[in-house]
Amino acid sequence: MSDHPEEPLISALLEEKDAPKTNDTPNGFLPIETNWFDRLFLSVVIWIALSLFWFRFIEPLGLSIWIANASAAALAFIIIKKG
Amino acid sequence: MQSKRLGWILLAPTLVILFFFGVLPFIYVVYVSFHSWNPFAVNPDMVFNGADNFRKIVFDSAFLNSVGVTVMFVFFAVLSELIIGYFLAQAFMRDFPGKAIFRTIHTLPLIMAPIIVGSVWKLMTTPSIGIIPHYLDEWFGISMNIGTSAPAAFATIVIMDIWHWTPLVTLTLIAALVSLPQDPFEQAQIDGAGKRQIFWHITLPMIAPAVVATVFIRLMDALRTVDEVWMLTGGGPGSATRFVGVHIFKEVFPKTNYGYGSTISVIVLYLTIVSCWLLYVTMLAPRNKKD
Repeated sequence: MSDHPEEPLISALLEEKDAPKTNDTPNGFLPIETNWFDRLFLSVVIWIALSLFWFRFIEPLGLSIWIANASAAALAFIIIKKG
Repeated sequence: MQSKRLGWILLAPTLVILFFFGVLPFIYVVYVSFHSWNPFAVNPDMVFNGADNFRKIVFDSAFLNSVGVTVMFVFFAVLSELIIGYFLAQAFMRDFPGKAIFRTIHTLPLIMAPIIVGSVWKLMTTPSIGIIPHYLDEWFGISMNIGTSAPAAFATIVIMDIWHWTPLVTLTLIAALVSLPQDPFEQAQIDGAGKRQIFWHITLPMIAPAVVATVFIRLMDALRTVDEVWMLTGGGPGSATRFVGVHIFKEVFPKTNYGYGSTISVIVLYLTIVSCWLLYVTMLAPRNKKD
């Protein structure tokens, strides 16, 4: 349907040449390919979810939120380092 | 190096605007969410209360109910818009008499402000003067009153949203369908593939990025719907159409509870980002990896 030639744009080629080399194969334990920012994002998401869950179900039993924070921080460290 | 610097210079105005109108207000809202703040109370000062607002929100049944109602609304509205939008896009890919006029008329709802849409639909659905209750009663003997019936109010809002936003989905999908190459379709037809097989194995995978982008836009929009609903039902009857946007509005403006309102906003933003990210991971990430 499209009549455009198949050649890529010159700007795209230049961009590609300057782009840093990336490791395409995931080697962490996460099932998806991630960079450090993705893993940081995932850690924050888990931290917030865990905190809200703790507030709702665990804190009324008498366990402090700091336990959840410490667990979330440890988990974040593992995810960022080895995810 | 020169092109990189030029790139940053060209991006600078956008980044500055984004910082002042996007990032800074967000940081401020997060800051306020950790405070108790009612500027019109006896003590108008902002008082730091740690995570108390977040502690309160997980037990707030009105908020949890509003999240449930919003999720239901988003599910029905966005799914219907996608399906109807796809069929309309396919229809517009063919030639038929009056196509140009129909396409123009079909995009008209898009240019209407949501508050106008809400007021028009309010006029159309008000018992005794509205055209919809009138004909429902005359033709089918159904009495419709969105002021007293929760299912009717909810369904009306879903239909109103579909009417308002399906054209956007149609336009995006038309753009996606037009840009598809013909070769795979011809090859599939030569190989004897049926229409259903062509749709599931060729069309849908090829337009998936456009579909996901459209769902992102609609999901984010639908999660913060306020004005149409506020105009049409005001969140009622009861709390049947009290979506999170309406809930935040009621918390922040009539109650002037800025701290707790900010907490709800942060949580809604969190839910929006997480749903979009999950959608991206499940639909596009495996595809990118394969490429």
